[in-house]
Amino acid sequence: MSNEFNFSIKDYQSDFKPTWCPGCGNFAQWRAIRQALVELEIPPEEVVLVSGIGCSSHMPNFLNVYGLQTVHGRGIPVATGIRLANPELTVLVYGGDGDIYGIGGNHFLHSCRRNVDIITIVSNNFVYGLTTGQASATTPIGTVTRTTPRGSIENPINPIAVAIASGATFVARGFSGDMTQLTNIIKAAIDHRGFAFVDVFSPCITFNKKQTFAYFRDKVMKVEDFGHDKEDFHSAMDLANRRILRNKLPTGIFYQIENTTTYEERDFALNQGIIPAKTDLELSDEQINAITEEFY
Amino acid sequence: MKEDIVVRFVGSAGDGLVSLGLLFGKILKKHNMNVLGFRSYQSVIRGGYNSYQIRFSDKEVLSVGEDADIIVLLNKHVAELHNPLVNSGARVIYDNDNIDLEELEYPEDIIKLSLPSVSIAKEITNIKVIKNSVVFGAISFLLGLDIKLIKEVIVEQYGIKGEEVIKINYEALDKGISFAKEKMWTPIWVKGKYEKARQMIIGGNEALALGMLSAGLKFYSGYPMTPATSIVHFLTKYLPKLGMIVKQTEDELAAVGMAIGAAYCGVRSATSTSGGGFALMTELIGMAGIEEIPLVVINSQRAGPSTGMATKTEQSDLFQVYGASQGEFPKVIIAPKSIDEAFLTGIKALEIAEKYQVVVIVLMDLYLSEQIATVKKLDFKRTNKRYAILEKAPKDYLRYRITETGVTPRTLPGTKEGMFFTGSSERREEGTSIASTLAGLPSTLPIRENMMKKRMRKMDVLLKELPKPEVYGSKDADITIISWGSTSNIVKEAITILNNNGIKANQLHLMYINPFHSEEVLKILKKAKETLCVEQNFSGQMRDYIRMKTGFNIKNSLLRYDGEPIVPSQIVNKVKEVVQNE
Repeated sequence: MSNEFNFSIKDYQSDFKPTWCPGCGNFAQWRAIRQALVELEIPPEEVVLVSGIGCSSHMPNFLNVYGLQTVHGRGIPVATGIRLANPELTVLVYGGDGDIYGIGGNHFLHSCRRNVDIITIVSNNFVYGLTTGQASATTPIGTVTRTTPRGSIENPINPIAVAIASGATFVARGFSGDMTQLTNIIKAAIDHRGFAFVDVFSPCITFNKKQTFAYFRDKVMKVEDFGHDKEDFHSAMDLANRRILRNKLPTGIFYQIENTTTYEERDFALNQGIIPAKTDLELSDEQINAITEEFY
Repeated sequence: MKEDIVVRFVGSAGDGLVSLGLLFGKILKKHNMNVLGFRSYQSVIRGGYNSYQIRFSDKEVLSVGEDADIIVLLNKHVAELHNPLVNSGARVIYDNDNIDLEELEYPEDIIKLSLPSVSIAKEITNIKVIKNSVVFGAISFLLGLDIKLIKEVIVEQYGIKGEEVIKINYEALDKGISFAKEKMWTPIWVKGKYEKARQMIIGGNEALALGMLSAGLKFYSGYPMTPATSIVHFLTKYLPKLGMIVKQTEDELAAVGMAIGAAYCGVRSATSTSGGGFALMTELIGMAGIEEIPLVVINSQRAGPSTGMATKTEQSDLFQVYGASQGEFPKVIIAPKSIDEAFLTGIKALEIAEKYQVVVIVLMDLYLSEQIATVKKLDFKRTNKRYAILEKAPKDYLRYRITETGVTPRTLPGTKEGMFFTGSSERREEGTSIASTLAGLPSTLPIRENMMKKRMRKMDVLLKELPKPEVYGSKDADITIISWGSTSNIVKEAITILNNNGIKANQLHLMYINPFHSEEVLKILKKAKETLCVEQNFSGQMRDYIRMKTGFNIKNSLLRYDGEPIVPSQIVNKVKEVVQNE
């Protein structure tokens, strides 16, 4: 990290103006991510933001960091490769519910158990926005969408519970209507050692007339307001599964454990302090002898 | 005197055929023989019918051979199954305590050599595998091998297990030899002195892996799939020493995704799979193409379609890899024919990928991936040379600036003021997308056109750097045989046989498949009196590919798609038929 930090929130913004619908929940996250980076004093060149496909996945276009948009659902593996290649980087994945929980669901599960130190932020709007409003993995049962005109007949995924059950070491939920809390959650996620996951209630003002800003404002409740123990697995699961506070939608850090090793700390090269992106290509005589000996 | 010897061990999965084959290969290597070995097997962990065939000679060995000089039957079950494959004149070594060749109705025109290896081994120890050393002893008598050299190999292989193990192996060897002597077996290969030389004996996948390591491979991700998995096994074995990342992933999409992520950071990266996994990777391969991220993908082909025959060889993915992913982007395809070429390919693939910021697909096939052969010492490159990477961001840096060669030097994450956006959508020179709000506007039409041209231009520049195809063999041949991948060396062997039979044949082997030297290939084909394309698939993919690239119609095809490698006699017979029909 540089000794003198003199970047402002504007410095993390590209010349490309966001193309989201005016009033979209993604704007709050665009700001919160930049705000968190400034407050944590992480210079733009040390940040990589990786996305998939969907409205939210346009995000890296609008940021002045190293930005990489992948294909649908593949942000997590590409980000994992980046982080393992160069653990000095702060690597964020940003995508929607369709991207991360739907088509990319397998990677989501495995990144939770793998505990590579990347941050995954999901803009969850309960619908496919970019393809004009189809049901997604989080669409509540009974919801009428363009692909479910008689109401959705599938149960939605519970991303918080799935993440905790799959071994994630940082699991949180934010709301695009609460910038201060969202920024703090993202800061905590970046600071967390290991895989950090943040689900964000982010209303789609065009295709979702049910999960609106007003709907969430009425229902959200901060976990710290009722003394939740984020280090307790069972309390976190109860909260995630709505065994408590049934009529509310809790936000904040559901679960965080810090006394466990990250993938980087277990990896046989990285735990020697090797940074693959900064390693000489050439093998030493000793290495060549070691890998060819069995063939003589 | 025979020029070469073929030995075939026949057993079941679980009989330790792979280590047996490798040990025998090492013994022969010690005698300075050229060796080629290949295992034929099925997708089971225990049981089934397996054979490990090894061919050796003091001359070049180009295929695993056909008729066996020595067949070793390791159990009764496989002895029964192997009956139809026994050729006349073969010396069949079997344990007469549990195998009765009369009862199994083995042919009369073979030489039956009974060897009660289990009971001989029991005189020494209770360790069952020691019977194999008894067999080695008997074989070494038949082949006139040097017992001292065999013992050297045993020390090298088992020394770590302690003196007792060495001692009983020695004893078993000696007993095997004495038994053969007593029963007056007739040696079939008597060599005088063996010159010692430092050769390697190595498999196709391992040679490819060594090539990549030699070129600075530092990141490898993969999902297990036969016959590509042994690359990951090999790299993982030496992991702490290599200081690199090897990652087994949740699926092939993650495997290729992680390799792309690492390559984006400037790390030389690769992933491997077979046809099925490759199909899953294709969308991200296209992304690496448009984002101009260097990527090496190895597809070791096996018999398809779908799960097909998982342990059998084929060359049927040419069109899959050529057409992989939607749209058009530069895509390099390299198909090595041999262990040496696999090593070279490992180096070239990583270098080309980085230099041109392109996807390089290495097309192996099961027969090459899984064969072992002796090679001269592999030449590890000693260079740290990097291509098209900027240490500092220049003023007015544009990641995708249009250039003459199509290649734009790139910054890596971490480089100050070098930040850029890249995405899977079409873009402007700075990297941002034109797809969401600008595509179709008159001002963006040339942007799209120029970006396409920039990317595709890299193939033209690369082609100039690639070696031109050469014809092997006589210039005024009666027939030119075209081949690719592992079949090429088998064709080369057939050409020698044909020449000895008075038929002049030459060969065009195609290692660099895309970009393609169309003009040079067309010139060669036009000169040919007759043409034959030999490949391991149903539809003649290389023949069709050549027609597409050159307009030339290769008249004859020899196709094999039953899962076993083509053998020289098939090629010889086909050529005779073609030449005689003229």
